[in-house]
Amino acid sequence: MGKIKVKKSIAGINERIKRGDAVVTTAEEMVELVREKGEVEAAKEVDVVTTGTFAAMCSSGVWLNFGHSDPPIKMQRVWLNDVEAYTGVAAVDAYIGAAQLSETRGFDYGGGHVIEDLVRGKEIALRAIAYGTDCYPRKEIEMTITIHDLNQAVLYNPRNAYQRYAAATNSGEETLYTYMGTLLSNYGNVTFSGAGVLNPLSRDPNYETIGVGTRIFLGGTQGYIAWEGTQHNPTHGLGTIATIGSLKEMSPSYLRGCTIRGYGTSLYVGLGVPIPIINENIARTAGAGEEQLKTELLDYGVPRRDRPVVREVTYAELLSGKIEVKGKEVPVSPLSSFKLAREIADKLKGWIEKGEFFLNPAAELLPRDTAFKPMKQIGVVPLAKDIMTKKVVIATPRDSIASAARIFAEKNFDHLPIVDQNGKLVGIVTSWDIAVAVGTKKRRLSDVLTPKVITAREDEPIDEVARKLERHGISGVPVVDAEGQLKGILTTDDISMLVWRRRR
Amino acid sequence: MIKKVLLRYSTQRATEPILASVIKQTGVLLNILYADFTSRGGEILLSIDAPEQDVGKVIGLLKQRGVEVQELKRVIQLDEEKCFSCGACLSLCPTRALRLADDYSVKLEEDKCIYCEICVPSCPVQALKISKYG
Repeated sequence: MGKIKVKKSIAGINERIKRGDAVVTTAEEMVELVREKGEVEAAKEVDVVTTGTFAAMCSSGVWLNFGHSDPPIKMQRVWLNDVEAYTGVAAVDAYIGAAQLSETRGFDYGGGHVIEDLVRGKEIALRAIAYGTDCYPRKEIEMTITIHDLNQAVLYNPRNAYQRYAAATNSGEETLYTYMGTLLSNYGNVTFSGAGVLNPLSRDPNYETIGVGTRIFLGGTQGYIAWEGTQHNPTHGLGTIATIGSLKEMSPSYLRGCTIRGYGTSLYVGLGVPIPIINENIARTAGAGEEQLKTELLDYGVPRRDRPVVREVTYAELLSGKIEVKGKEVPVSPLSSFKLAREIADKLKGWIEKGEFFLNPAAELLPRDTAFKPMKQIGVVPLAKDIMTKKVVIATPRDSIASAARIFAEKNFDHLPIVDQNGKLVGIVTSWDIAVAVGTKKRRLSDVLTPKVITAREDEPIDEVARKLERHGISGVPVVDAEGQLKGILTTDDISMLVWRRRR
Repeated sequence: MIKKVLLRYSTQRATEPILASVIKQTGVLLNILYADFTSRGGEILLSIDAPEQDVGKVIGLLKQRGVEVQELKRVIQLDEEKCFSCGACLSLCPTRALRLADDYSVKLEEDKCIYCEICVPSCPVQALKISKYG
């Protein structure tokens, strides 16, 4: 990258918007322009590139304030059309999440539908219960409300508008119902989400203009980027944004409750981010074609966190309606509406051209170096050394069978590890071996021990040891270190105790 | 033209090779989209792809043999008010009856539909509806 040739300020662009001579293009138009004239010319010509997306975004919800009843109530639990909202905050504040299911209608109706019904101005059944306090004596309330009865209804979405998202397919024998839609067996289809070149964050992948406070199109009105989105992972091209805006001003054309078969409810959110073309670098990323936008096709037939990558795909291929998977042509479903994405980019363009929408410079840019960590493993898997008996009664090969019989008679166990003078495990003798040996001419333990001992390593996970015991039909194993030194003994009793403790 | 008709017939007629004889007599190829038979009688959803005159002939012969014939105008419906063209249905449709138009809106061509119904529960906003009885 050489010296920057074009330099513009957001204040300067706003000045042109005010005068009505700002040049605004949608991302689709910008791709054509950059292809035709190059990024420097495009940067000189264009002030703002508009984007849009309309996709199911589960990490969405609305903060509601109901106002106080008389006598007042401190809501402990609250339901809107039988969908529970979170009210672990002040008395009459609650957050209804898009993915929360109705307690009476299940998958057919959820938080996303409540949000759409609120925006449509429909009546919503409100029910709340409380424990009652001196200051909030009321214990229950039931009524119907509309969005107009609420003091505030603020859409606050912790994670929206993924920069890109992996496409999905299914290698398995059964049809899968996932958040990526219905995935037919044997690579029967492919689904993907994202609006290609219109995808907002893909136009500024280095986060040079997008940040906290950026004014955006949200649900049909003007909203803001509140923060980086949860799981914001720009290091891997998977940035996200948290968004905020007044639900009262939003339109049901751009907020739709939905049910994803076999998965649950969600909310389709219409969102568009204006990208100020402040230099040719931004012009280049804002004008990058579909063929430059790559994502991975993942196999959802493997039910793990890290699903195998089937192949890399470009958005150009995905948008063509069919792609090749394992030598076969497979039909593709977009899950987000390209039609509405385009409509949103056009609408935002119109607002800016008419001087109804001004750019708000980011108070702070979004982080560019964060990555998304997997879940911290809850409940560490115990190892053999954690639960084994360390004080082990042992014997040597030269000890007599009679002495072993005495040990078994005195102590309550069935396994006697046999070690040499260096403490190395050389065999095992069980109480059964001794019982069989009594009455024969055998005198020493070396005559009856089993030299081939199934052992466990100190650092072997318990689950693995349990499988080993079961597989060999034995009730205990000596635990040894890497040199074969005896370190302890582990029996089915120890494992039962562990399970018993875990249950408690 | 493609015409879809729903045939209903009584249990008494069930043993007669009605469709086969109509096909033989008219030479018109009939496509069975759906068939069901219970103790109360049977029903067959038929697609007839033939000139109008031949379609009339087929229907006439079926009626002659005691079959109740109901012409279906629309069996599957895409509610364009509800549909916002997400496209979730597209890759599930085995006959491409559901497709994306040039303006990226989802379109339904009922002539191609074989009523497998897989699209119906996969629509996130229940914009697709099937009613076999028109």
